Amino acid sequence: MAWTGLLMGLIFGALLQQGRVCFNSAFRDLRLTKDNYTFKIVVLSVALSTILFHFSAQLGWIKMNPAAFNWVSTILGAFIFGMGMVLAGGCASGITYRVGEGMTTAWFAVFSFGLTAYATKKGALNWVIKGLSKFDVRTTYAADSLYAPKTGVTVSSVLNINPWIPALIFAALCLWYVFGTKTTQRKTKINWILLGILLAVVSGVAYILSYKAGRNYGFGITGPWVDLFSSFLNAQKLNWSSLSVLGMVIGSAIAAIASKEFKLRMPKNPMTYVQVLLGGFMMGFGASIDYGCNIGHFFVGLPMLAISSIIASVFFILGNWTMTYFLYQRD
Amino acid sequence: MAKYEVTKTLDVMGEVCPVPDVETKRALKKMKPGEILEVLIDYAMSAERIPETVKNMGHEVLEVVESAPSEWKIYIKVK
Repeated sequence: MAWTGLLMGLIFGALLQQGRVCFNSAFRDLRLTKDNYTFKIVVLSVALSTILFHFSAQLGWIKMNPAAFNWVSTILGAFIFGMGMVLAGGCASGITYRVGEGMTTAWFAVFSFGLTAYATKKGALNWVIKGLSKFDVRTTYAADSLYAPKTGVTVSSVLNINPWIPALIFAALCLWYVFGTKTTQRKTKINWILLGILLAVVSGVAYILSYKAGRNYGFGITGPWVDLFSSFLNAQKLNWSSLSVLGMVIGSAIAAIASKEFKLRMPKNPMTYVQVLLGGFMMGFGASIDYGCNIGHFFVGLPMLAISSIIASVFFILGNWTMTYFLYQRD
Repeated sequence: MAKYEVTKTLDVMGEVCPVPDVETKRALKKMKPGEILEVLIDYAMSAERIPETVKNMGHEVLEVVESAPSEWKIYIKVK
């Protein structure tokens, strides 16, 4: 069933490319240009995913498996990741789909990102995770719950209430924000509401198929890049996770070529390559110690109401705004 | 033949996101009313976003020309 990872990755990559769904832009534009267009796409998608994930778990198609919350590394890692994405010129999914568009800076960024994540999860930097993991907060769920038996704390586990209650309130608040406030206009290929719906459906189906393949999580970027590097370096068989990220790159490339948007793009100042390498390093390190990137935490973890993902999302945005200020707002 | 009397040309092809947007804003701030800025860009997302940002700043977008596959020229009149 690992091949379904490739299929879902292809669709997701093509959607991200054609929809220009970059979380770095989504977070940054809120402040830099007071533009909420991209942010609303991802918030709509998160709201719908919340319902879809809980529904799938209710029917037994998946078990929700949120990442552990860690008092130190969730905050620190997310802030570092948030700053890194500004330097790298894209979030984890952003640099991944831009590889397929021919953005050469993104090629350097993903190598730096993937290798650093590999080193942090399995290699020379692993002592950081080992040292900090004593602050991990996990909990145990009953066998008939919507959650995996031993997993990260969520809003419902902390308040000891039915998971549907915070899920419905959260989804309603997101939808109120999306449709109840003014949206910045922009001429794009795909209508933003349709795009938000498509992303949520693809994400929901991906979680179910990934679960069926024995991997209990939805889309991710950091883990999948580590798995891809791992199979490349250690001659391991490709799994759902590594195939999904490979699919994203290929899907984005196909979409970019088909729409005549593929082009080898190179910045005039070579220092940009140094900047994206540093950004990729910070992202790989940050997303490994906080157990997730903008996809693992914001896009897939928020809909599960994971405490780790809620805190991480806040610090992604704060890190992003901090670096945006230093790089682009001081005139 | 140039269609507009361009005062300044800004080449931001190949730059990472959001350098094209930021450089466009910075260039516009230094220009005088009536002058025309030509932005050369090869990044679709910025090509879609810059016209809206510029309009919100109060300037006039004269035209967005697709000069080659995935390459655009944006003409902006400073107000």
